[in-house]
Amino acid sequence: MTEMTIRVVLVVGLYVFIGNSGILSFGHVSFMSIGAYAFVWISCCTLPALKPLYLPGLPIVLQETALPSPAGIAAAAALAGGSALVIGSILMRLSGTAASIATFSLLAGQYALFRNWTGVTGGTSSLANVPVFMNSAIGTLLAIGAVLIAWLHHQSRYGLMLRAARDEQTASKASGVNVWLVRTIAFGLSGLIMGVGGAMQAGFLGIVTVDAFYLDVTFLTLAMLIVGGSGSLSGAVVGVIALTAVTEMLRRFEVGIHLGDALLALPRGFQEVGLGIVMILVMIFRPAGIMNGRELTVGHFRLKR
Amino acid sequence: MNAAVPPSLAAEAVSVTFDGLRAISGVSLTLEKGEILGLIGPNGAGKTTLVNCLSGFQLPTEGRVRLGGQDTVRWDAAAFRKAGVARTFQGGRLFRDMSVLDNVEVTGVALGLSRRAAQRKASELLDWMGIAQFAHQLAGTLPYTDERRVGIARALLMKPDFLLLDEPAAGMSDHECEQLTALIRIIRLEQGCGILLIEHNMAVVLGLCDRVHVLDGGRTLAQGRAAEVRNDRAVIDAYLGAEG
Ligand SMILES: Nc1ncnc2c1ncn2[C@@H]1O[C@H](COP(=O)(O)OP(=O)(O)OP(=O)(O)O)[C@@H](O)[C@H]1O
Ligand SMILES: [Mg+2]
Repeated sequence: MTEMTIRVVLVVGLYVFIGNSGILSFGHVSFMSIGAYAFVWISCCTLPALKPLYLPGLPIVLQETALPSPAGIAAAAALAGGSALVIGSILMRLSGTAASIATFSLLAGQYALFRNWTGVTGGTSSLANVPVFMNSAIGTLLAIGAVLIAWLHHQSRYGLMLRAARDEQTASKASGVNVWLVRTIAFGLSGLIMGVGGAMQAGFLGIVTVDAFYLDVTFLTLAMLIVGGSGSLSGAVVGVIALTAVTEMLRRFEVGIHLGDALLALPRGFQEVGLGIVMILVMIFRPAGIMNGRELTVGHFRLKR
Repeated sequence: MNAAVPPSLAAEAVSVTFDGLRAISGVSLTLEKGEILGLIGPNGAGKTTLVNCLSGFQLPTEGRVRLGGQDTVRWDAAAFRKAGVARTFQGGRLFRDMSVLDNVEVTGVALGLSRRAAQRKASELLDWMGIAQFAHQLAGTLPYTDERRVGIARALLMKPDFLLLDEPAAGMSDHECEQLTALIRIIRLEQGCGILLIEHNMAVVLGLCDRVHVLDGGRTLAQGRAAEVRNDRAVIDAYLGAEG
């Protein structure tokens, strides 16, 4: 459950940019990573004496601080959001497909940087003793916050102009839309949300490693967005729930289930294969995802007009 | 801009070359506020390319575009729209996954209105054009005649000074053409903008336009009052004659 709230935040973060702009990004997990490390830099460690040993490259002030978790989350949001804004302002000069490819280089570059910046990130070794603040209540609260921000952005003028540029970039310019600007804003905001997701992850596991923020999460979160349907905010949330259910089931099968006397177990690695199969099936039978661009409606209250 | 002199949108000796292919060569044309200027010519004559130049989608290889006397070299398409030059597209190009109302509203927010204000203006405009019944329909589901109207509404929001229409009647029946003609006439009357109309249907052109500019192979073949151009020998040979 708590883990699911983290995924909701991450996938909603992806939705803000990918869903509204129609540009696939493979690089957003970079901002999750930046958020997780920002949390460590501000709020680590439960044993303060460890911090200078772990991260001798940090500025002395940071080596000596271990602020409460809310400060760490705020730092994660600020640093991830800020870097996303700067990086986005550069990447959004590129057109759709070129931008997608560039986001992939962003992921690879950020990963290599953090992996080798040993004094500041611990390099390949994992950082333990990260304060654990997450529980299902806090996770739910943050997830609701992320959905709310995404919804406000969706409803805002910037969301509207961004979707116009997604549907018809040329015509959006003829309507006076500054395509670069609306894309950059969404990139920054979604980076900010990803950063909070990173802090949540750090504060859930109590341990941070660079490898936890690379291809696996990128694939899983993108799969969730696409399976649920990147055309709507509800799709993002539904995708998380659906794929969490599927992976959970596959994990149980991998461990093995008892049928009478026999232990039935799927080969290891089937979780990933199964996820891929589910994704392909959804793409074949529902190319626009489970929600197909629609929003869930509750009475007369609709998310999307 | 000087309020006393009505602004005009002008191409001055504009040429555009695509990898050695000359799409238009030395074309000059002035569109005044309040007039309807027809732009005609056979397929590939360079009409769309000229409109692209006049709306910031294409930088002229030579020559320049002026709006009310201002040079526009550094302007992009959004800047043209903000300065009052609006256009439609040959293929419609609506925002397919958005409602008709949102399609029109985009222009309002892009030009600085709040969503609420832009939505009100967009609703009023759809009402005025008699297509309010489609307001909440997805634009991608409209039949093409209504699609054209939405494209025009999108361009017309925020009262542009100049409206460039790229083949708005293509594929329409005679009856639909008449309705479109009436609409364009009312737009000129009530909004007072200068309209550049690209159109193949000569009945529509002669019925609406004060002046006509004829392109052929990227060059100006003739220009002048509609009735004169209609009887121009070269035009008949090159263009009208070809249609019968
Ligand atoms: N982006 C481009 N790149 C290369 N060539 C182009 C480009 N756009 C137009 N052309 C060429 O320029 C010439 C003029 O094209 P244009 O679209 O302006 O003609 P048009 O008068 O609008 O024709 P139509 O009546 O078919 O719409 C054509 O030969 C076309 O192939
Ligand atoms: Mg054309």
